[in-house]
Amino acid sequence: MKYAEFKAPKGVIKVELTLSEDNTLSRISLSGDFFIYPEEALEHLEKTLLGVKAEVESLMAAVKNFYQTTGAQTPLIGPEHWVEAILRAARS
Amino acid sequence: MEWRLLPLRVDDAFTSMAIDEALLRLNSEGKAPNTVRFWRWLPSAVSLGCFQSLEREVDLEAAKRHGVDVVRRITGGGAVFHDHHGELTYSVVCREGDLPRDIIESYQIICGGIVQGLENLGLRAEFRPINDVQVNGKKISGSAQTRRWGSVLQHGTVLISPDVRLMFELLKVSPEKISDKFISSVFERVTTVERELGKRPSFGQVRAALVKGFEAALSVELVEGEMEKAEMDLAAELRSKYASQEWLRKR
Repeated sequence: MKYAEFKAPKGVIKVELTLSEDNTLSRISLSGDFFIYPEEALEHLEKTLLGVKAEVESLMAAVKNFYQTTGAQTPLIGPEHWVEAILRAARS
Repeated sequence: MEWRLLPLRVDDAFTSMAIDEALLRLNSEGKAPNTVRFWRWLPSAVSLGCFQSLEREVDLEAAKRHGVDVVRRITGGGAVFHDHHGELTYSVVCREGDLPRDIIESYQIICGGIVQGLENLGLRAEFRPINDVQVNGKKISGSAQTRRWGSVLQHGTVLISPDVRLMFELLKVSPEKISDKFISSVFERVTTVERELGKRPSFGQVRAALVKGFEAALSVELVEGEMEKAEMDLAAELRSKYASQEWLRKR
């Protein structure tokens, strides 16, 4: 299991993940002191990320797609912050 | 407009969280009025934001040793140590339509009640987005908000004279968070009403100041009322969720 923390403009994003041999996310758990509206959207984000390649473009596309499809709001946190946190964990 | 003001309550963590959710649910169903309440924690407790990992944020051994309850909130944000002797907690429940749609703006309005309440006590306070109130550049109050079923619950703390040493024994502070602010000590980041005023007001005095503050910030008249039986019953039902290991260990 890989783990990293990233201090976003609001809150610390903590990421636990496992990578498959093809560098895709086979398991991911996000936690931290941020805000997400609605709250259920965090589980949706985790599911969206499964099977996604652990590199910037793929992650960014998946996270942006998550925001579009759910309409979730994360005050002061944007797609780039999730991606940075995930990449840090992937590289850990 | 009139909103209800409930009497000061002192409850355990699980009951308090259950009351907040019961008020939120019933308000969203049109069965409970917009409400402001103030309350204290007995025993002292740590509340965890709904997205936080229990193991990573709380020293469970220390909590056990000190007889401190640990509960997960339905609201996001960070872990907080709630000292029975040193903190007054508030909750505001209202219809979503009674606040700005923008989340940060709505925090600003409700936190405005804290800002004006602290000013009523003689302090100069300011809102720090998203969810903090500061005095002299130090955090004195933190809040967390959820919006569900068409209603809003915002609850938060006002630090009067908490045991900061115990707070640090209980909470695992992220090194990222500390280093980012170039500050090694929480004493430089957090302050209390007692420290800023140079004396310790009673819970009643703080509550009275905050009541006036919320009336001004929300542009409402707060009218004293009691919890209804339906609210008590639903809270009793919800309490078991908050006291459950399943809920506590969700993340």
